[in-house]
Amino acid sequence: MSRKSAAVAVPNGQPTRRQFLKTSAAVTGAAIAAPTIIPGSALGLDGAVAPSERIVVGGIGIGRRGGYDLGCFLQQKDVQFVAVCDIKEKRRTAVKKQVDAHHSNDQCATYRDFRELLDRSDIDAVLIATGPNWHATAAMTAAKAGKDMYCEKPVTKNISQSLILADTMRRTGRVFQAGTQRRNLPHFAFACELARTGRLGKLKKVYAHPAGMQAMMSGWLVPETEPDPQLVDWNMYLGPAAWRPFNKKLLDGFNFEKGGGLVGGGVLEWGSHCVDLCQWAVDDCLPPVEYNAPKDGELVARYENGTELIFREKGWIPLGSCPVRFEGEDGWVEAGDSGKMVLSSPELLAGREVDEIGGYPATFHVRDFLDCVKSRRQPKGNAVAACNAHIACHAANIALHLGRQVKYDNVKHEFIDDEQANRLRSEALREPWRL
Amino acid sequence: MKSIFAPFGWLALGVLILALAMPLADAQQPRDSVTEEQRLLTVLQSDAPSAQKAISCKELAIYGSGKAVPELAKLLPDPQLSSWARIALEVIPGEQANAALRTAAESMQGQLLVGVINTIGVRRDSQAVPILIGHLKDDDVEVASASAVALGRIADDDARKALQAALATVPEDLRSPVAEACVLCAEARLLSGRQKEAAEIYDQVRNAEVPMQRIVEATRGSILARGQAGVPLLVQSLRSPEKKLRQLALATVREFPGDQIDAALAKELKVAPPTRAVSIIQAMADRPQTVVLPAILAAARSDNPQVQASAIDALRRVGDESCLEILLSLATSDDPELQQVAKSTLAELPGEGVNNRIVTMLSGSKGKQYPVLLHLVAQRRVDAVPQVVQALSHQDPVIRHAALKALGQTVSIDRISLLIDAVVQSKKAEDTEVASQALRAASIRMPDREACALQLSKSIPDAVAATKTLLLEILAEMGGEVALAQVSAAAMSRDPQLQDDGSRLLGKWNSVDAAPSLMRLAVSGPSSKYRVRGMRGYIGVARKFPMPESQRVEMCRQAFEKASRIEEQKLVLDVVQIHPSAEGLALAIKAQRVPALKTDATLAASQIAQKLGGKAVDVASIMKAGGMKPVKLQIIKATYGADGVSKDVTAVIQKSAGSLPWIKLSGRGYNAAFGGDPVPGKVKKLIIQYVMDGKRGTGSFEENAPILLPQPK
Repeated sequence: MSRKSAAVAVPNGQPTRRQFLKTSAAVTGAAIAAPTIIPGSALGLDGAVAPSERIVVGGIGIGRRGGYDLGCFLQQKDVQFVAVCDIKEKRRTAVKKQVDAHHSNDQCATYRDFRELLDRSDIDAVLIATGPNWHATAAMTAAKAGKDMYCEKPVTKNISQSLILADTMRRTGRVFQAGTQRRNLPHFAFACELARTGRLGKLKKVYAHPAGMQAMMSGWLVPETEPDPQLVDWNMYLGPAAWRPFNKKLLDGFNFEKGGGLVGGGVLEWGSHCVDLCQWAVDDCLPPVEYNAPKDGELVARYENGTELIFREKGWIPLGSCPVRFEGEDGWVEAGDSGKMVLSSPELLAGREVDEIGGYPATFHVRDFLDCVKSRRQPKGNAVAACNAHIACHAANIALHLGRQVKYDNVKHEFIDDEQANRLRSEALREPWRL
Repeated sequence: MKSIFAPFGWLALGVLILALAMPLADAQQPRDSVTEEQRLLTVLQSDAPSAQKAISCKELAIYGSGKAVPELAKLLPDPQLSSWARIALEVIPGEQANAALRTAAESMQGQLLVGVINTIGVRRDSQAVPILIGHLKDDDVEVASASAVALGRIADDDARKALQAALATVPEDLRSPVAEACVLCAEARLLSGRQKEAAEIYDQVRNAEVPMQRIVEATRGSILARGQAGVPLLVQSLRSPEKKLRQLALATVREFPGDQIDAALAKELKVAPPTRAVSIIQAMADRPQTVVLPAILAAARSDNPQVQASAIDALRRVGDESCLEILLSLATSDDPELQQVAKSTLAELPGEGVNNRIVTMLSGSKGKQYPVLLHLVAQRRVDAVPQVVQALSHQDPVIRHAALKALGQTVSIDRISLLIDAVVQSKKAEDTEVASQALRAASIRMPDREACALQLSKSIPDAVAATKTLLLEILAEMGGEVALAQVSAAAMSRDPQLQDDGSRLLGKWNSVDAAPSLMRLAVSGPSSKYRVRGMRGYIGVARKFPMPESQRVEMCRQAFEKASRIEEQKLVLDVVQIHPSAEGLALAIKAQRVPALKTDATLAASQIAQKLGGKAVDVASIMKAGGMKPVKLQIIKATYGADGVSKDVTAVIQKSAGSLPWIKLSGRGYNAAFGGDPVPGKVKKLIIQYVMDGKRGTGSFEENAPILLPQPK
């Protein structure tokens, strides 16, 4: 989850169609892959939302990032937010207050156990913004309960979870949107489109900013007195993570068990954004097949067709956080969270301004999700796209941890002749949780 | 070989295990599995605290073999360590782990048993099937549920039979997991080409009294397992009164193979109520290879505005030239929303013949359709210059402006003079702005940039002042040799306005080749204001662009020497910090001699030195050579931490200290150098007490800051 603090205010909450139509008239006049936005009146967004067109939403784990997402959801006129679940009493209360004030009622129910929220038949979709420890387990539990979901990233802790996530969403027929909001930001979409459509020539290298190549692991701190579960439910907080005693320092859900195992964290935090964009730039092909040990701040992975995916710590043009760069034989483009892009030639802009293409807010991504809940299309951050991007991150982390090259077979979903790497593809969940 | 955990020292501290952040910027040495396994087993066999055993289990997931299984199995009944033990047992290959888990599954109970069963499911141990079948009747619903799902994962014939039998007999609270397991069994068969078997299982679940979501999953499977024979069930699901089944059908349409479903959808569209028709149209359009286009085209003429809007939007993905007529009609209708959707669809309408048809229609066009067609020429980059040129002389400014915009997007180098003339010799004031934008758009997309720049350059002398500025701005945006020469000449000219324009544009030049011109402007520009622009632009080039480090350092040296103001010299120090090198360090040290730069230069030198630490650069020698004086330094005590938790790092600091007040740590960052993060999630401080040249001092450093010890007073 990026901690980008840009304001999300969107006049009237409905900028998406116009902005994307502007974006879509891109490079060649043919279609840039903007999402299909059906006219509001066709899907009940014309300001007079019929009850049958409302999407009833519940929130699971609404902390700092979740609060940002919640704001994006509440801006949408067809969203009725009815419930919140959090293991922390303070957060439950705060979200209920915010939601009730927004809807001018007192109907937002609060839960400590998200399974009770999922049991509600009136809820169509859930916003999952717990810490990454819970993302995959909660998402798959929600899918099996028949809910669509917007799930923050990093979505999975390991390769196995990534594959099961894609399978589960396919099997259950649910709409899944990973919190990879940059897939719905016009300037990143534009940059990816230049790469995908061959405007940069044959693609040679795609660069992702990992924001640090460190393997992280949450451990076992000195025991402290466990709080009243009504205030902080430690057991539910641990959830699928292996047991350890309460210690308030571990209550940093943003980092707790990120990536889970010995090889967690690492490039996963921002990789799940930047690598995801690189995956889009290479037309959402299967993840790289070869990952090398890092050297001089770069970890080089290679796709089947020879294109390199490079996790690069330094050397970025200052364009804000989460930058990506795509290099082809005929040109390059680099973009970052500032909403700016730098291109090898202004010709690539096809007569338009970078400012005109535009960047944030992340509301676009939430809108894409809600549209897909109605149409049943696959949203931009769908489970297969998220699965592939996360596999690339996890495999890179495994190369990082083992300190050597690993080769991945995308058909068998295993590392080639590499038992150590293969054992790091998954990790047992604490009882009673399963995927 | 050392454990990755050994450096932390928590072993000696008993129960404390720290959350770890292990910097791995460069490759670690591979470790030997046999040695590692033995080391970890020694921990499990000892009286080590649970914390230590837990992490050992986690490492055994990589290094453990069958030899580790007995020790791991002993931990399965331990509420604190069971989940840690399963982390290893779930991935250690071989029958020993399977056998240990089966034994546990027969002897344990409650939540810990659930965990063991889940692990058996992940391992797909078919020998465990009888045990799991037995647990289907366990009084504990969670145990029975876990057993069902584990059987579904194993999915062999024994498991399948047991699950199908159970579906009809188990209590209500078990039906959902048993149905979930049946679906898993069916899916395994579908994937292995046993469609008929799969369909039977799916149908059994579909007709069972199970939660709607299980029926949804079984319905999807049943449709797909039947192949083309699944179309009727898919259409039936589209009509279902159950919302979730309708949703499922819409999703399944998008993954269904063949073209029979397209014909079925076209037929269904005729009878579907508007609310469903809207969604069906969208689903149809997501099948561009086989879509029945006439059905969507017919919907685009619907009386129902929602259906109509959905169809127009869908044409954006699947339409062709046959849709032009209706779309143009809607694009000029009185309904603003329909207008907008139709225009956006027209801009992207696929099909080889669309552009040709637009050119043909343009020739005889008039009225509201004329500007729409011209706009399409621009959006779609249609080659229709002769037709567009005709529109340039139209009496309606709306048409002329649309034509200028279209030229901007489509004109080639041999006709760009049309736009240059429209700007330089503009006769209609109301057209000037649009013509300027069009010329700009045309120039920056022109493949032969130099030829285009030459034509623009030639027109500058004849242009009025404001147009000169515009032309220079366009040239700057285009870049290239001719443009650079023209803008540089403007900056050094005698014309005050050209000086201003040229220096402003040169200062923001977006490539390295502007460096010589920038330095010329910086040294001999027509006024101090423009010289500053030149110098800042020159430094900006060194800062922003990729180039050999030797070239960058040379640029920095030049800039530092030629800069007449402290402000620009500080900018040079920024550059050498951002791009650290030995030569840059020398420059920063040299800059310390300038009194007004001492603080900035010292900080820069320290930052560079820290960054160069791991790059085999003899930083100490450079610092000494640069004038940093050796000192007699004694480290007394050093601690690292936050919020009252800290670790003693005196030994590390003492080892790293030398004869300079600067201390270089090994590794990347404090946590790495000090063997771990004592307070995860907090910004920590390093406190060093020392004696320098006989005087006692204390230094406090934010996490990962360069360590430059202040001279004690």
